[in-house]
Amino acid sequence: MDIKNKEFMLIGGLLVVVAGLMAFFPSLNDSNSTVDWISIPLVGFPIVISVILLAFASQETRSRKDIIAVPIRLFTLCASLIPLAISTALFFDWLILVDWNLAYNDYALEKEYLWIESIGVSWHVGLDGLSFPMVWLTTFLVPVTIIATWNEKDGATYYPLLLMMGGALIGVFVALDLFLFYIFWELTLIPMFFLILKWGGKDRRYAAQKFFIYTFCASVIMLLGLITLYFLQPEGSGSQYGTVTGRTFDMTVLFSNATAFNMGDNVFLGKDMQNVLFAMLMLGFLVKLPAVPFHTWLPDAHVQAPTGGSMLLAGVMLKMGAYGMLRIPIAIFPDALLYYQDVIMAIGLISLVWGAVVCLGQTNLKKMVAYSSVSHMGVILLGIASMQPIGYAAALFMMFAHGIISPMLFAVCGAFKHHYHSMEIGSMRGMARWSPYLSVYMMFAWMASLGLPLLAGFVAELMVLLAYWPTYGWWILLPGFVLAITAAYYLWSMQRTIFEGGDEGQPPESLNGETPPDITLSENIGMLILAIFTVIFGVFPFIALGMMDQWAVALFEGVFNGGI
Amino acid sequence: MIDPAWVSGLAAILFIIGLWGAFSRKNAIVVLMCIELMLNAVNLQFVAAANHWGDVTGWVYAIFAIAIAAGEVAIGLAIFLSMYGQHETISLDEVNLLKN
Amino acid sequence: MSESAIIDYAVLIPLLPMLAFPVILFLGKLFNGTPTWVKNAKEGGIIALTVMGASLVLTLLVIKEHMNHVGSANIFTWFESSWWNAETGAITTKVFGVGIHIDHLTVMLLFVAAFLCFMINIFSIGYMNTDSINDNRNHRFYAEFVLFCSGMLGMVLADSFLWLFIFWELMGLCSYLLIGFYWERPSASYAAKKAFLTTRVGDVFLIIGLVMLWNLFDGHLDYAYVFDKANIAAVDSGDLQLALGMMFIGAVGKSAQFPLHVWLPDAMEGPTPVSALIHAATMVNAGLYLVARMFPFFSGAELGSLSTLAIIIACIGGITAVMAALIAFVQMDLKKVLAYSTMSQLAYIFTGLGSALWFANNGYEELAAFAMGASLFHLFNHAMAKGMLFMASGSVIHEMHHAHHDIAHHGDDDHEHDDDNFDAQSMENMGGLASRMPIAATAMFFGSMSIIGIPLIGGFWSKEGIISSAWQVALKEPIFLLPAMLILIGAGMTGFYMSRMWLMTFAGKPKTEVAKNVHEQTAWIPIPLVILTFMTLSAFILAGMHAGNWLGNFETGHYSSFLGGVGSELKHVFLNDDPFLLVLTYIAIGLSLILGPSFAMALYGGSLDKGQKAKPWMQWAINLSDKVNSSSKFDNSAWANSSLAEALHKRLYFDDLYDAAMLKIVVGFANISAIFDTKVIDGVIKTIETTSQEASRRVRSLTTGSARDYIMMAALGTLVIFMLLWGVA
Repeated sequence: MDIKNKEFMLIGGLLVVVAGLMAFFPSLNDSNSTVDWISIPLVGFPIVISVILLAFASQETRSRKDIIAVPIRLFTLCASLIPLAISTALFFDWLILVDWNLAYNDYALEKEYLWIESIGVSWHVGLDGLSFPMVWLTTFLVPVTIIATWNEKDGATYYPLLLMMGGALIGVFVALDLFLFYIFWELTLIPMFFLILKWGGKDRRYAAQKFFIYTFCASVIMLLGLITLYFLQPEGSGSQYGTVTGRTFDMTVLFSNATAFNMGDNVFLGKDMQNVLFAMLMLGFLVKLPAVPFHTWLPDAHVQAPTGGSMLLAGVMLKMGAYGMLRIPIAIFPDALLYYQDVIMAIGLISLVWGAVVCLGQTNLKKMVAYSSVSHMGVILLGIASMQPIGYAAALFMMFAHGIISPMLFAVCGAFKHHYHSMEIGSMRGMARWSPYLSVYMMFAWMASLGLPLLAGFVAELMVLLAYWPTYGWWILLPGFVLAITAAYYLWSMQRTIFEGGDEGQPPESLNGETPPDITLSENIGMLILAIFTVIFGVFPFIALGMMDQWAVALFEGVFNGGI
Repeated sequence: MIDPAWVSGLAAILFIIGLWGAFSRKNAIVVLMCIELMLNAVNLQFVAAANHWGDVTGWVYAIFAIAIAAGEVAIGLAIFLSMYGQHETISLDEVNLLKN
Repeated sequence: MSESAIIDYAVLIPLLPMLAFPVILFLGKLFNGTPTWVKNAKEGGIIALTVMGASLVLTLLVIKEHMNHVGSANIFTWFESSWWNAETGAITTKVFGVGIHIDHLTVMLLFVAAFLCFMINIFSIGYMNTDSINDNRNHRFYAEFVLFCSGMLGMVLADSFLWLFIFWELMGLCSYLLIGFYWERPSASYAAKKAFLTTRVGDVFLIIGLVMLWNLFDGHLDYAYVFDKANIAAVDSGDLQLALGMMFIGAVGKSAQFPLHVWLPDAMEGPTPVSALIHAATMVNAGLYLVARMFPFFSGAELGSLSTLAIIIACIGGITAVMAALIAFVQMDLKKVLAYSTMSQLAYIFTGLGSALWFANNGYEELAAFAMGASLFHLFNHAMAKGMLFMASGSVIHEMHHAHHDIAHHGDDDHEHDDDNFDAQSMENMGGLASRMPIAATAMFFGSMSIIGIPLIGGFWSKEGIISSAWQVALKEPIFLLPAMLILIGAGMTGFYMSRMWLMTFAGKPKTEVAKNVHEQTAWIPIPLVILTFMTLSAFILAGMHAGNWLGNFETGHYSSFLGGVGSELKHVFLNDDPFLLVLTYIAIGLSLILGPSFAMALYGGSLDKGQKAKPWMQWAINLSDKVNSSSKFDNSAWANSSLAEALHKRLYFDDLYDAAMLKIVVGFANISAIFDTKVIDGVIKTIETTSQEASRRVRSLTTGSARDYIMMAALGTLVIFMLLWGVA
């Protein structure tokens, strides 16, 4: 076939798909039918399309690069917009019929297909106040990442890998079956590994291996915990229970069984076992979060990863750990949560403080931002340890807000690297002279990250502090101290890069005397979108917080009232 | 007929000779011959036992073993042929590509 | 207009400037450099002016409506969250809302903010747009300017401490951006960072205080709930004192009081309109506003329970007042003198507030109202006067620049920056400008008098109120003698350094050629100067209207008509019934009117050079200073060379101390932690890695590659399996 035709064919095919979906939407508002199958396109679509595209991309050779890479890039972008459209539509429940008033252990758009009957595994997916914001975040970030890294990467396989990553992440969030959850959990590692390995920095091999093996080991421990849980649960019968083992991997069933058992003074599986299992599960999640002292994979992974990889890694992958924490151990082992409350608080506090202090001593810009991620994730742990709905909603909102802000941070770093060929803070002065747009975005992102009010991060930090004081009193000085340190390292890094420089400015040596450029249009648009949403969720947090607060209240009513 | 014990003994001796040869010889063809010796010793044992107990299973096993031995020798010789083509030697000591 | 209607529009007061921010930025980026934008729109200055004018009009309407009753309106619910009671299992919803609250305090600060924002906007158009160093970046200035104004206006209109804090932070951001306006200068960039971080430290305590308050008041931060007497009574006053104390630390940072004062002098790196607006007239008043807002807590809480905090507030005020005045003694930079003066005067207001709060908490309602009124009135006077002083000083510096330009480069416009190190801001290069810059000189003349507290002008009416309140507390609470004494001494010191400033700049002979060639030539600048001069002079009208009385009493304050009030005010001041107060007043007047200025005149006075004549309302002062100077034998060289003077030049070493602490301790610790993280924590992982690699290498050596060994292993393995299967005997 002629070269041009292939391109048009791809785009044409895409348009047909989009048109088909558009035609679908009106019928989705039919009040007689629910759209519970919607999770399949949400998950399956990205993965399947990305696999197909990867197959196409593997046909790429040096000579055919432009022919294959450019339409694939475009196609991937359009393909990533479809899950975004779906999830945004889901939010407005007048567009697609969804009931978001959910009680505890109640899910919207639930769908169950029996899969492996003998051991009780089913394709059970659903959305609730905890997972839907994360799903929306993922579907939002994938196209934004593609846009922001539009010009940066050669190679056709880069963009489909991003898409596959998105699909796997959505799978983690919608899964309501432990087996399924674990599959998607591990599935996310694969595209990220390849992203770091193929397009990373100098030490990418080491960083990719470290990332993979470290998190993999931790999730193996988590798997061990899950399997122990599986075998220790009391036998039962029903559609979700395995025909051979008499037990189930299904989360909803486990939750209701455990909660029913926990009522009053009983402790599901016994106190000691519960503590052990809780610790094992948490270990897997803590490493993913990452929490100090299990955080050392993150700086290396981030510094070596390409911009798009970093954006998705920091934006969503880290939240997987927090999501897992909020979803599984708390509902099944609430007594263990109470037992470990101070430990979780301590780990969170240490992460918060250590992350911030180490940031101050960094000279590599991306490493500094990576450690600031560690620091912000500590806030989530503080929210969990507070044992208040406001704290849990705060943790969830922090996940969400950080998920919008940190891709912006990394996009800034990426643009920095791309145009100035250097990541060192202090390698230059007066960047605002040549790259005003980049400087503005840098300042905006930095301010958002340090918790400036009316930008997304502030409400989360405020809520965590509000929940923190009654439980832990004067320890609150430490998170407060971190607020000041955070401001210090961000401002200091700005002073040493954007500002100063006198009348001439001082370009970095790595530029070798070329004229320093400003950011490309696609980088600009990507960062602009993120900035706009940061402001939207900062000024109107209730858009997201309503759902989150409802979920937190439902959790407390369902699990903690009478359950502890 | 002959006391099956003697046949078993012969089979055992043949087996041990083959085993010792397989351990200690350098020449690949000789090792192959020793393996054949071991297989034949086992065949002998099968036949003796089948004769003693009148069970046809033993005869069946023996025939299978012969067939498999034939196939195995063919493959072995092919491997040694290509090994000789690559390394100009069939001494087992000198070919250690799988080291570490 | 009905009440609900105007208060519904009150939300526009902060909203319009906030919306103008992206508009100016965007248009500025789009039209940068085009002649229409530069000449007609003044690079966004006209847009800003329109918006600020609209806000001012709305403000006046709101004030007219709410002169004597409180108003509030709820705008929308920002977000909701839930609280779980572990014992009962009950889950309650906590609402965080956005709304507007207008009372006397709001009205006063709203007027100050809106009016001064407008005036300084006019000033900026004249100042910024005629200086070539600002070419093509003024849109950024005006955008940040309106954003800041929206922050201030929003803060005073907010109906909860939460939104007070949010706008507080927004102002901090704009302060950072504006101080660092000339970001290419390392000193400016450093100063911006210093300002942000110092106030941030205060803000940390403020946020902790708010968290404590929220938890004390059952999940509420809105004034309606929190100021309710019943709710206050239900709260443990010890905890309340701690919470308010934390919040006070935030106010200390924002209003540049000891020990978080170090950022204010450096903040003079920003352009002069910034100094005028943010660091004299509005942002630094935020801390004062916060403390003033705490008044209902003090009057509603248990008797005497919050006294310690009130004493602390007053003591910090007193210490700062004297410290700042001392440092101002040795300053040569015109703007720095004003900065330290701001610090000192704000300290006065803190002392006044401390007295008011002490009175309120100990049951002396009338005295509390009086003290509160005096403090707030002083805030008003100070803001007007200081804004004017900064603008006038800006005008002087601006014209000095121009004159230097004309002389050194013969009017050559190509040079953007002066190569020689002529400091146009240093008073050492000025002198004799009273005749050459009459408007600025007049403005600074009356402004200084207001700050000093010369009788009948501006700050006098409020300052004497503060001093008398403080001493009245001291009569009841001996510890209060410290701040009371300090501010009394400070009155004299203020007299000295302000007079010194005026005389060095405007009196005497010009010290340089540049000063000889200065003349007022820039348009727009004189307008606000003239208007504010009149405001300062007419403060006695407000005093006559019992403004202090009205300000001090939230519920039932009233204002009387002009004529009746003036008489009683004068009598109250000069012929007070209470002998103690009478003596006090005259001591204060003596110190500030006679003692301070005399020393200043003795050292720095002098007549203008030949042929120059200042306007008559100033000429008499110049003549007087000349007489005092020539007839005095006061020699201050011993003082000027002492180690105290040296310490003062180094700002009493606080800046150095903080810098060293930050760099050596905090950053040092950070560097060590970074290394620790890489070597030790990551080292564990690396050790695991190397150990497993080593172990793997060892096991791998079992694979010798020799076929014979493999045969051996296979045979042995089979043997072992057989043994296991059939059991070893």
